[in-house]
Amino acid sequence: MRILRLILVFFVVTFFTFFLLDNSPGDPAAARAGLNATPEAIEQIREEMGLNRPFLTRYFDWLGGAVQLDFGDSNVVTGFTSWRLIQNALPKTIELMVLAEVLAIGISVPLAVASARRPGSWIDRVSSGGAFGLLALPAFVLGIYLSFFFGVKLGWFPTIVEDLPSIFRNPIGNLHQMFLPSLTLALNLVAVYLRLLRSDMIDTLQEDYVMLAQARGMSERRIMWRHVLRPSSLNLTTAIGLNIAALIGGAFIIEVLFAINGIGRLTIISVFLEDYSTVAAIVALLTVAYVAANFAVDILYSILDPRIRHDNT
Amino acid sequence: MTTPDEKPQKRSFGVIFWLSAGWIAALVFVALFEELLPIRDPEALGIRTREVAKFEGPGFNAFFGGDGQGRDMFARVLTGIRPALILSLVVTVLASIIGTIVGATAGYLRGTVDGAIAILIDMALAFPGLVLLIAVRASFGNSLTVFIILFTLSGIPSYARIVRGASLSLAEREFVDAAVAMGASRTRVLFKELIPNLVLPVLSFAFLGFALVILTEGALAFIGLSMDRLTWGQLIAEGTNDIADHGHVALIPATTMFLTILAFNLVGDGIRKLWSPREVATERKLITLGDAADDQTGGEALSIRNLATVLHTPDGDVRAVDDVSLSVMPGEALGVVGESGSGKTMILRSIVGAFALSSVTRSGTVNVGGIDMLRSDAETVRSVLGNQIGMVSQNPLNALNPVRRIETQIIEPMVVHGGLTKSAARQRALELLESVGIPAPEQRLREYPHQLSGGMRQRITIAIALANEPDLLLADEPTTALDVTVQDQILRLLSEQQRARQMAMLLVTHDLAVVKGFTDRVAIVYAGEVVEIGPTSEIFANPRHQYTLALMRSMPNLDLPSHSELQTIEGTPPSLIDLPDGCRFAARCPAAQPTCEQTNPSPVTDGEHTYRCHFPAETGVALSGAVS
Repeated sequence: MRILRLILVFFVVTFFTFFLLDNSPGDPAAARAGLNATPEAIEQIREEMGLNRPFLTRYFDWLGGAVQLDFGDSNVVTGFTSWRLIQNALPKTIELMVLAEVLAIGISVPLAVASARRPGSWIDRVSSGGAFGLLALPAFVLGIYLSFFFGVKLGWFPTIVEDLPSIFRNPIGNLHQMFLPSLTLALNLVAVYLRLLRSDMIDTLQEDYVMLAQARGMSERRIMWRHVLRPSSLNLTTAIGLNIAALIGGAFIIEVLFAINGIGRLTIISVFLEDYSTVAAIVALLTVAYVAANFAVDILYSILDPRIRHDNT
Repeated sequence: MTTPDEKPQKRSFGVIFWLSAGWIAALVFVALFEELLPIRDPEALGIRTREVAKFEGPGFNAFFGGDGQGRDMFARVLTGIRPALILSLVVTVLASIIGTIVGATAGYLRGTVDGAIAILIDMALAFPGLVLLIAVRASFGNSLTVFIILFTLSGIPSYARIVRGASLSLAEREFVDAAVAMGASRTRVLFKELIPNLVLPVLSFAFLGFALVILTEGALAFIGLSMDRLTWGQLIAEGTNDIADHGHVALIPATTMFLTILAFNLVGDGIRKLWSPREVATERKLITLGDAADDQTGGEALSIRNLATVLHTPDGDVRAVDDVSLSVMPGEALGVVGESGSGKTMILRSIVGAFALSSVTRSGTVNVGGIDMLRSDAETVRSVLGNQIGMVSQNPLNALNPVRRIETQIIEPMVVHGGLTKSAARQRALELLESVGIPAPEQRLREYPHQLSGGMRQRITIAIALANEPDLLLADEPTTALDVTVQDQILRLLSEQQRARQMAMLLVTHDLAVVKGFTDRVAIVYAGEVVEIGPTSEIFANPRHQYTLALMRSMPNLDLPSHSELQTIEGTPPSLIDLPDGCRFAARCPAAQPTCEQTNPSPVTDGEHTYRCHFPAETGVALSGAVS
């Protein structure tokens, strides 16, 4: 049932994207033909690209190709398929998002545990205040602050990612360049995760089973990490899953700010250059990512909460 | 931090709230009267007019300095206010109203409608807003109206999702069923009951949403997809290129945007706290006052002397336990009886030192096996809790951790305190489950709490309590939440185990009948005090305190003729925050005299029987008034 729903999501989203791009005022044939092309030449290219065929035929053609990762040639970058362009850009975006997610969870979970354990203590007030401030900091503002301070003033990290070495061959060089972008993206997530997990943990702390664990002489640390964290992490899991879409959006901004040649920059450039086959390919990809994230959240959910696991079986 | 004598917190907004509100008011003022303000033309090129220099630093000439073309940054930042406010206001109002209607409809009607809307929400959230924006922007231009429509469309799913989630849970609550049962139509219920209960989550999200619009517009402008007018996002984007040499050009609009978003969040948060003041976090503390009493000999399993427990809540200090003294010998069962709210559960909590989220001050002495539970170091207390005390709580549905296997939960105390290996603990867990009457223990160990019935879960809680062979068993209304048929089984089980293992037991209950069959002695608790304590048979034969007497008369008795009337106790117990000076039962007592209102009686001891009453009942009157 859920699978059907997500497949439906995929079809509808790609269909509408295709439709919207198709009805955009730009003319891909003219864009490919170049500035000085004659109307006849444009018409010929239009014929070659199959743009004169009915809309539905073209959509299903495209979809058939898309399943095999064939999204057609880029209208703009001669000699490159759209998939090739995406392949070049994708690893950087994925790395950015994974690093950000790891940093965000690594920072927010211990802080949430420490805050929930002693609500009102200095660590709680500092981290809650910090999270509140971070919520008000858009990625591009935070990024500007961080690169101004750590990049321009202190000079510790580069403010622009250039010739990024592979993380497998030169992890230090790679991480040195990716640190500021990942941190910028992560800190926005930290604000969300910290608040959510802290308040859920405080709720869980009032449950009888936590009181009983205390009455059994379990240490506070054990209670927080073993008894309270997992039952409190369901909303956090949802947030992580839902955030994938927001994270992609955030990655777009970060890529522009730090000049990372990832999917975000590719999208924006493709849009401005009217390279619609690439835009359509990216949309299809993002939708698949969203659908996959939803599945992952469902699976994670059932691991975290046995009640859900048994409901489904 | 709360100290015992601190007054409850006032619910005021505080300075930061008013600063934020002031900032927003200033923005609104500028947005309204922008044309009347004495500021430069935001597009006037300083390099031509010579008024502002290229990249001029902030100062008296130009408060925020000049940009790369000598345009006055102050004027430019101020100009960005109006589009930001109009866009967010209109979008927030439209999206929250439509989103609430859609979400509430889905959450309440369920079924096909809900399914369809959930799919739509899914799709809308999956749809890359950027693509929508690009396509629409290309077709319809980038005017304010186009942005409003786009942002509203992309905002609706978030509101709808929140409201749907909230109303799914709300729709299960009793009051909705009650309203339907009372003949309200479904549509009426939707609007009259659900919507007001959803206002809070929507409102708090709306403030975040307001800031989110400003933020998103800024992000879009930053990547080049701007509106057709000057916005902060554009200013920031323009300034970023020169950040290395002329930081102010980017940092000033960036900071303005940051402060604005912060202000909206703070105001929203302040308003939200009006509804849910419990969010005001105070540090939890467990304080001990006074010295320990000396008389700690006599071999009691538990000895409590002059215990007083004060809970520091936002509403005031609750004197949950007041001057309570009692003791239990090994192998003895003591019943603790009282109405709900009498403080009987708090006596147990005070022994183990486990309270929910409030600061607590305890004074007096609690000795378990000769160890002072109030003044020993944390390590010692934990060791006593783990090795010498077992506890069973009221609600078995909530006594086991829902996400941990039975096995993990039952072996934990044996591994942590008993020093057993996991496999040894598992072996013992099987024996324990068998001894508390659980069939197929092997299989149960692998299961989760939700797979078991309430009675089964309570048996498991008992098994966990027995895991480390405790000397003292604390049972807090162990049968109240169970089916009547199961209640007796669980009580018998507890009693058998208590006798077989020669444990001391404190059995807290509101039910005198329970006490009668399963305890050696009884303590009657009223408004935080033990008003009467003595051997069970003696208390039932010769209740002396007027409250005990009243309790007994309100108890069904099968020995009496069937037309006997049950008496109820008129009135309600006093508030534990504001206790009377005199006898706490005086206001409800049929035998009360003026003295009772003035002084609280001291305990009177008569053999093994102790009571606090100025005018105790005659001996042997227990049932005389029950027959009408």
